[in-house]
Amino acid sequence: MAMAALRREGRRFATPLISPNPATVFRSSIIPSEEPVLSGVRCISTQVVRNRMKSVKNIQKITKAMKMVAASKLRAIQTRAENSRGLWQPFTALLGDTPSIDVKKNVIVTISADKGLCGGINSTSVKISRVMHKLNSGPDKENKYVVLGEKAKAQLVRDSKKDIELVMTELQKNPLNYTQVSVMADDILKNVEFDALRIVYNKFQSVVSFLPTVSTVLSPEVVEREAESGGKLGDLDLYEIEGAETKGEVLQNLTEFQFSCMMYNAVLENATSEQGARMSAMDSSSRNAGDMLDRLTLTYNRTRQASITTELIEIISGASALEG
Amino acid sequence: MASNAAAPFWRSAGMTYITYSNLCANLVRNCLKEPYKAEALSREKVHYSISKWADGKPQKPTIRSDTPEN
Repeated sequence: MAMAALRREGRRFATPLISPNPATVFRSSIIPSEEPVLSGVRCISTQVVRNRMKSVKNIQKITKAMKMVAASKLRAIQTRAENSRGLWQPFTALLGDTPSIDVKKNVIVTISADKGLCGGINSTSVKISRVMHKLNSGPDKENKYVVLGEKAKAQLVRDSKKDIELVMTELQKNPLNYTQVSVMADDILKNVEFDALRIVYNKFQSVVSFLPTVSTVLSPEVVEREAESGGKLGDLDLYEIEGAETKGEVLQNLTEFQFSCMMYNAVLENATSEQGARMSAMDSSSRNAGDMLDRLTLTYNRTRQASITTELIEIISGASALEG
Repeated sequence: MASNAAAPFWRSAGMTYITYSNLCANLVRNCLKEPYKAEALSREKVHYSISKWADGKPQKPTIRSDTPEN
C-alpha cells in the first residue's frame, strides 16, 4: 500500500515534466521518452529504431529462457539415454547390425521431434529416411514409413504421403519411459508387415554433434533364413537354445524385444539430440539478438547525436545572426 | 517349467512378447512396498496419439493414454 501511494505521488510529481507542452516538444525527440514523436518535427524520428530495439531485447530474453529450459531438460534426459545404450548392445553382439541387408518389405521408422526450433535434426532424419527409401526401392519391393513426431510428418507428407503407414505423435507428454515406447513398438509390430525395420534417428554424441543413425531390426523369418544360409548371421547357429521352445518361437520373441529396446534407445537418443540442438540454436540466436541490439544502439545513438548537433548549430547560428 | 507351457498360451491369446513382458513387469512393480511402488508406477506412464494412414490420407487419430494393455 505504502509503495503504491509513493508511486502515485511520484507520478503526480512527474507528470508536468513529461506532458507534451510546446516547450518540451523540441526536446522530446532528443531524449528518449515514451511519448510518440509529433509529426512535423524537424529532427529524424528515432521512434522506429527504439521500438525495434525493444522487440529485439524481448526476443533475446525469450531465446535465453528457452536455452535454459533446454539445458535443464537435456541434463535429465542425457543420463537416461546413455543408460539405455546398454539395452541394444547385447542384441548387436548377438544378431549383428546389418543395414545392408536386402529384403522385400522395408519399413522405415523415422524418429523426429514434435516441436521445432531445434536446428536441423528433424530434417536430417527425414533426409536419411528418404535415402533409405531410395536405396531399398526396386521393382518388387515395398517401402513404408512409420513416422514418429509432428515435424517429420509435416516434411514427409509433401512428397511421399502414399508410403506413410502409421503416424505417432505426442510422445513426450510424460517423461519418456520404456513402457510407453514398448507399447508403441507393439502397435507398430501389430499394424505393419515387415521383413526389416529400419529405425532412423539422431544419435547423441555431444551437445553440438549428432550422428544420423540407422538401426536395423530383422523379422524372425529373415533372421532364420540368413542364419541357415550362413550369410551375415551364420554365427547364430553356434548358440544352443534351451527349453522346449522351437527356434522360431525364440527368434520371434527375441525380435520383438529387440525392436522395443532399439526403439527405446532411438527415441531417447533423438530426444537428447533435440534438446542439445535446441540449446545450441537458442544460444546462437540470443547471441545474434545481442549483436543486432549493439548495431541498433549504435545507429540510434549516432542519429540522436546528429540531431543534437544539428539543433545546436541552428541555435548558435540563429543567435549569431541576431547579434550580427 | 511353467514358462514353456505358458508361452503358447499368451501367444495364442493374441499377445506379443512385448505385451506379455509389460504385463509381467507391471506385476513385479505392484509387488514393491509403498513409497517405491507409487514411484515406480507413476514413472511408467503411457501417452501418445496414433493414426493410421490409408491411400495417403490420415485416418482419425486415437490417443493411447495410461492403458498399457491396449
